[in-house]
Amino acid sequence: MTTVHVESGLPISPGPAIRTPDGERFLDGIAGTRIRQNGCASAAYAALYANVDVICAYPIRPYTAIMMNLAQFIADGILDAEYIAADGEHSQFSAAFGAGSCGARAYTGSSGVGVTYGYEMYSIISGARIPIQMAIADRTLDPPGDFGSEHTDALCTRDMGWLLGWAATPQEVFDKSLLGYAIGEDPRVLLPQMIAQDGYFVSHIAGEVEMPTIAQVEEFLPPYQLPFPLDPRRPVSHGPQIHPEQGPPLQLERARAMEDAIPVIRGKTDEFARIFGRRYPHFVESYLLEDAEIALVISGGHSVTCRAAVNRMRAQGIKVGMARLLWIRPFPSDDLREALRGVKAVGVVETNLGLGGASYGGILSLDVTTALYQMTGERPLVTSFMAGLGGETVPISEFDWMAGKLGQAVARGSVEKATHWVGFEE
Amino acid sequence: MSYEVHRQQLPLFEEDGRAAATDDEHGRDLHYLPTLPDEDPYAAGHRTCAGCGPAIQYRWVLKAAGNDTVVAGPTGCMYVANSTYLCTPYTVPWAHTPIASGGSFTSGMAAGYEAMIRKGRYPGPYPNILVMAGDGSASDIGLGGMSGALYRNHDALFVCYDNECYANTGIQVSPTTPYAGMTTFTPFGKAIPEGKKLPPKNLAKMMAEGHPHCYVATTTVGYPVDLMNKTRKGLNHQGAAFLHCYTPCQKGWVYQTSMTVELGRRVVESGLWPMWEYRPEDREYHYFHPPVQRPVTDYLAMQGRFGHMLPEHVATMQAGANRNWEAIGMDVPKSLRELEDPARHKRLHDEEYSMPLNRGVGA
Repeated sequence: MTTVHVESGLPISPGPAIRTPDGERFLDGIAGTRIRQNGCASAAYAALYANVDVICAYPIRPYTAIMMNLAQFIADGILDAEYIAADGEHSQFSAAFGAGSCGARAYTGSSGVGVTYGYEMYSIISGARIPIQMAIADRTLDPPGDFGSEHTDALCTRDMGWLLGWAATPQEVFDKSLLGYAIGEDPRVLLPQMIAQDGYFVSHIAGEVEMPTIAQVEEFLPPYQLPFPLDPRRPVSHGPQIHPEQGPPLQLERARAMEDAIPVIRGKTDEFARIFGRRYPHFVESYLLEDAEIALVISGGHSVTCRAAVNRMRAQGIKVGMARLLWIRPFPSDDLREALRGVKAVGVVETNLGLGGASYGGILSLDVTTALYQMTGERPLVTSFMAGLGGETVPISEFDWMAGKLGQAVARGSVEKATHWVGFEE
Repeated sequence: MSYEVHRQQLPLFEEDGRAAATDDEHGRDLHYLPTLPDEDPYAAGHRTCAGCGPAIQYRWVLKAAGNDTVVAGPTGCMYVANSTYLCTPYTVPWAHTPIASGGSFTSGMAAGYEAMIRKGRYPGPYPNILVMAGDGSASDIGLGGMSGALYRNHDALFVCYDNECYANTGIQVSPTTPYAGMTTFTPFGKAIPEGKKLPPKNLAKMMAEGHPHCYVATTTVGYPVDLMNKTRKGLNHQGAAFLHCYTPCQKGWVYQTSMTVELGRRVVESGLWPMWEYRPEDREYHYFHPPVQRPVTDYLAMQGRFGHMLPEHVATMQAGANRNWEAIGMDVPKSLRELEDPARHKRLHDEEYSMPLNRGVGA
């Protein structure tokens, strides 16, 4: 379908982006198959299916493999896209921003200190309402140098106006990347997206990923249609200076876009299930929460271990459940309250660092606590657990320990403290 | 399959008409201007200062580029003075970028158009893509991004409008601030009588030497046809081009506002701004040899930012200018060579047509 701009009568974009013949053959060949691949490869395949126009790369472990995969797709003639090997993350995100501002579908990504090096760009890109996508395979921030996974990098950016989804498996990385574009590019939203996955635990461990047909993807993800591109046929000015009195309404608009994303995420998640046959909860995975007395709130790949731990504890008669956050921005306050209704004590598993915050522990518990404080009726007790920092695994025994602390809190009627450092306490 | 990317070729302006122009006593053409396009994508409605050099440059560059153009503008005085929400002077698409993103954002625009045209998302032709970044953006905080964009050879023109300071924030030193140039970060005083002690960074040479596949040129607002032709040559060059343009800032330099274009001539004629073109085809520098060679005091004394200079500082400046003359293949007359001696100079503010001393604090 050709969209014609009303004022100029000119086609803004003649139609969907074409693919290369080799790309079509390749995707037709893998459609309907399951490929064993890690989270990085999954993200790259999603970008290939999304037929991105501009890719902005800069190397940093562990997300680099996403960009390596995409470079190979281009070298093999499977994907036609401009590949910018930028001179740093700030330039990388700026270039993606420039491409997205012209109406090109742009893709970028980073890890760890790379995520924070480009920090200036986050507010600017979301404020400009340019819905580019950024893949994050998370990594501990320096110091000291540490390749390991920690959620701090992505969570540092949580208030900058980007949608922030967290995937726990390679399949979910693939699905969430397509979902991200579909939600972010929706004219009701127009926000950039961060699709995060745990470094190594997800980015470098293979899982089976189902490959869709091109037709499925094109039905779900229409061509990128920025309503106000930098197009000489219809001149616009992006990002002029404002006066202070113009600030509040613009900020309110951006805040509303984040709120408006909530129903769009619900709708797109349902549409995704209809087209691809995989149904995800809209925001919160409720695992054995119906009759639970205690619950662990978690995001990302450690939820796989957590689920196993919950199963074992259930077998021992402990009424424990798990709530996994699929999206952290917008924060699913309603869904979380609904999922945790009736639970007596909640423990937030913090695989991140929020130094000196209200809980003197992590970042996630601040949002969880705020959401639960608004709960009508009886509120659960809330504490948090610092675990899995620096790339350390969170073994089943630690989840058992956390559940023990929650059980004690229920018995006592109060939490012992706001934050427990797992492994450093009795 | 992919669609072909058609690129524009803009005709150059005639420079032969110079013979018909009025000459001054030095043989310089004063009033020559060729027939210019009606297009004026940098329209009225901005808030630049009277005599603003960058505004003159913006107008000539965009007139030369025409309407099929997309422009980026990193943070700087020409962001703040030009774009007011709901009132901007651009009749072509324009986007603000962070100060460090001039090169990188523009490379994204270029890449976006390349891909969109190839993939059938934009009917073309490939628009003129250019960025106009201040010297702080191009030579300092955004240097890495600018170099990256040139190195990657995106088909775009990267312009640095150089007013030799961070003017927007109140005249702070930048890498292109000349030796002895007073700024609010390099004030002069008893302990540091010259103000700025360092010589400027040679941005354009760095760009040409470091990115030999690029078209690189220097020019000033004193030579409008040269400025417009170099703009068009840069846009016509398939790949990245860098244009370094001298643009006086009356607020920061403290001079009479009518003297902007004259300064653009005198900076070349005093040997302080070598004007040249680097062509990637022959990998040669083509230097402009001005018809007049002046002592640096003819240039310095017009500006309050230099008013504190002592004889030895002026002599140092003259020595630098003389080395520039030699570097561009011109003889240094005996009269200028003698001016390397501090004994031949007065304090600059004692020069007879000196401007009042700039003792202010910038903005």
